[in-house]
Amino acid sequence: MIVRGIAAFILAALLYAGFRPVGPVPPLGPLLDPANGAWAGAAATTFRGVQSLSIPGLSKPVRVVFDDRGVPHIFAETELDAYRALGFVGARDRLFQMEAQTRAASGRLSEWAGPRVLVADKEARSLGLAWAAERKLAAYDTTSFGYRALVAYAGGVNSWISSMRPRDLPIEYRLLNARPITWEPLHSLFFLSRMSMTLGLNDATMKRLRAQSLVGVAAADALFPLNSPIQEPIQPNGLSGPRYDFSELPPPSTGDKSVATALRLQEKLLTTLARGGRTDGGDALGSNNWAVSPARSATGHALLAGDPHLELSLPSVWYEMHIVVPGKLDVAGVGFPGMPGVVIGFNRDVAWTFTNTGSDVSDYYAEAVDDSISPTRYLLDGSYRQLTKRIEEYRDAGGSVIATDTIYYTHRGPMQKVDDSWVSMRWTVYEPSREPDNFLALSATKSVDQWLDAMRSYVVPTQNGLVADRDGNIAIRSSGMYPVRPGDGRGDVIRDGSKSASDWTGQLPVERYPFARNPAQGFIASANQQPVDPAQNSAYMGSDWYSPWRGMRIASLLRSNPRVTPDDMREFQTDPGSARADAFVPLFLAAAAREDSASRGNNTLREAARLLAEWDRRYVKENRRAALFEAAMVELGRLTWDELAFPADTAGTPSFRLPESQVLLKLSQFGESVWWDNRKTPARENRDAIFAASLVSAHANLLKNKGPASSDGWLWSNTRHANIHHLLRIPAFSTLRVPVQGGPSTLNPSGGSGTSGASWRMVVELGPEIRAWGVYPGGQSGAPASGRYRDRLPRWALGQLDPILFPRKPEDLDRKRVISTLTLSPRSQ
Amino acid sequence: MNAFVKYLLLAEGFAVTTYGLGWWSVPIVAAMWSFFSKDAHRVRDAAIAAAAGWASLLLLDIWRGPVSTMADQLGALMGLPPFLLYLLTLLFPAVLAWCAGVIARRPVRSPVASAHSASS
Repeated sequence: MIVRGIAAFILAALLYAGFRPVGPVPPLGPLLDPANGAWAGAAATTFRGVQSLSIPGLSKPVRVVFDDRGVPHIFAETELDAYRALGFVGARDRLFQMEAQTRAASGRLSEWAGPRVLVADKEARSLGLAWAAERKLAAYDTTSFGYRALVAYAGGVNSWISSMRPRDLPIEYRLLNARPITWEPLHSLFFLSRMSMTLGLNDATMKRLRAQSLVGVAAADALFPLNSPIQEPIQPNGLSGPRYDFSELPPPSTGDKSVATALRLQEKLLTTLARGGRTDGGDALGSNNWAVSPARSATGHALLAGDPHLELSLPSVWYEMHIVVPGKLDVAGVGFPGMPGVVIGFNRDVAWTFTNTGSDVSDYYAEAVDDSISPTRYLLDGSYRQLTKRIEEYRDAGGSVIATDTIYYTHRGPMQKVDDSWVSMRWTVYEPSREPDNFLALSATKSVDQWLDAMRSYVVPTQNGLVADRDGNIAIRSSGMYPVRPGDGRGDVIRDGSKSASDWTGQLPVERYPFARNPAQGFIASANQQPVDPAQNSAYMGSDWYSPWRGMRIASLLRSNPRVTPDDMREFQTDPGSARADAFVPLFLAAAAREDSASRGNNTLREAARLLAEWDRRYVKENRRAALFEAAMVELGRLTWDELAFPADTAGTPSFRLPESQVLLKLSQFGESVWWDNRKTPARENRDAIFAASLVSAHANLLKNKGPASSDGWLWSNTRHANIHHLLRIPAFSTLRVPVQGGPSTLNPSGGSGTSGASWRMVVELGPEIRAWGVYPGGQSGAPASGRYRDRLPRWALGQLDPILFPRKPEDLDRKRVISTLTLSPRSQ
Repeated sequence: MNAFVKYLLLAEGFAVTTYGLGWWSVPIVAAMWSFFSKDAHRVRDAAIAAAAGWASLLLLDIWRGPVSTMADQLGALMGLPPFLLYLLTLLFPAVLAWCAGVIARRPVRSPVASAHSASS
């Protein structure tokens, strides 16, 4: 009897642990079950041989051939069938990622992970990302091709979900004890909202206001200028090199305390918003693209290269595909899992890619409401208008409501409360635009002009769309909606929300977008820099531009090479050279020499300068001197911009983004500027003293933290890495500390966290037959145990590219390179 | 019936029902076996056969896909050496089957007692 009692107790415990999660341990039954659980799931990640399946919604059979890189080549008779099949195979490879992304955008992660992700959910909903996606969907003409493509794609995803065997459930769902949701077209738009937040939130208001409160308006405007002091614009300005505007910075003055309230509002808003925007400094992140005309190409054909940089993740943000619909579509490239179509890629006639423009497409308005606690109306032109109220409920995995928010919307967008004030936000993300239509249309274009036409109505996020065609044309246009503001037109202020006169008055016409087509210089390049020289077009488009260093480097490489090959293009993508290092290293060395000759040097300075002089200014992995330069640059910023430290900032170091290094270079032209003086010391420092002190300090820090200069601690490969986290940040599913070539401001920039980088690299040669190469840091499969989860990573880390197969029909594929074939046929519903 | 064949059939019974119904079928099969079998070691046999049945499925998985990678990853995630996960995969059905077998087993009468009962 006792034994039975014990057995019953153990059985009950095991059944409980089998069915229900215990603490962080997921239910053991479905996990350990070798027929349907995680082990079988591992086996199910390998697709081989020939498979057939019937799914509802298809009009004709679709054949999908997977090559040995895991890329599906989809051969369909209609475009909608192709996108339905793409939904099916995309979900088969990336279902968890698709749902995770859509949950992140719609603020529904807590339904998986409970209160610990509530903050992220609240941010997403208070920004109105889901609301924006719903607006976009509601504005769709349901008979339009774009809408039907979204529906077909969703149908394909759901066909996979309904045909999944228990073993096919991705491991992440098992760990979360969750089941996939039914996919809807809205979910694709959620993802776009999220991507727009990542790329389309570029607002320099906070840093400018902080500087203004400390050093006055004039100085703040000079430190965070609307226009970069170094112009190497995307739209060529007719010069054969960069244009420098090195006028002297006005001295710091008394801080402007009138901005304190606005600053407080901004701090709260932007601390939240910064999560979606750029936080790692202008020299650390950034995308590149460039194209050369046939005249500058070794093969006589136009060449195009692109490497969009994003937050790196496993699975990769991209999914590679090739779609063929005879007579209509033959396109290859990468798209976003969760969205139909190729976003960056090529067809038989045209190739294209994007970098982020980073224009200012959001504004804030101080609103006057009828009740600061529970507002129902807001003031506009002397009369009250009704606020739209949206109750946001946050649920946990069990479906219980764990929090509730009320989000109020004006005609501009969502409001947030800061202290006793309310601030609304207007953002182009909230426009009822149809970006999927634009991306889908690109795939079928046959010339540069058609491609540009297909992008005319594109809204957000603003993108430098680079395109080349087989006729040898190359072009770029910074596409997207640029709001036109009233008054001085600047978007880096908080406007009075009680007046409709504060609202946007329109948008720039496409004809005024930054643009170039077949420029005389024979190439076009973009690297997130200010897109147009203000001397040519002074319209306000933003102010938080990335530094021009990468743009300068690309232009320099292309100008010096009149016969560019596709392999040159590939090498440029991980080029270790740096225009920033070229600019600053001589300044450090000259300052050290002058200090030494003026008898203000010492052995430490001489040694530090000797070590820096050994550097060839290339951020290669085996180099031991780049670390010294980077440490010196950090010290230089800290010592120079001491005026921007708030009293509360630790050790007098400013706690927000400092002026960009091009402003520092500008200041460096004036050796006795008062900005060089370190206010914490009794002496009055000049440029040389600060440069020398920075170098000495950096040298000392490195010796202390990394050992002697000859040690491996100084190796660049031990200084910067790529850290590619799994979406759930599970270390076992992540790949961390990947050595990479490149540093801040190189074409393969590496930020301090290492979590951003080239999300896709592509080179296309537009000859009689298209040739293309590409790689991304990950693999086609989203299953961590799959051999295709991160099989491309080694080649990505080495800067190598894979040839992209581009067969016209299934039979054209080399049989040795086919790993499986899937035939999807129509099923009557 | 040959004992080995009996084992084999029982193990495959566990494997087939796990495949068709799910992991929770293990205690049900074990209970039925324990209830109907007259073998003195039927509970122990059920436990071993359940582990053997799952082992055969596991071997099939290993043959078909990257199970060792999954074991490494799950082991790292749970802070366990991978071999412990394999062991857990075999122990889990064994203990389930043993418990269910113990609960469901009927007392087995000895042949003498049976004969005495029949004659009276």
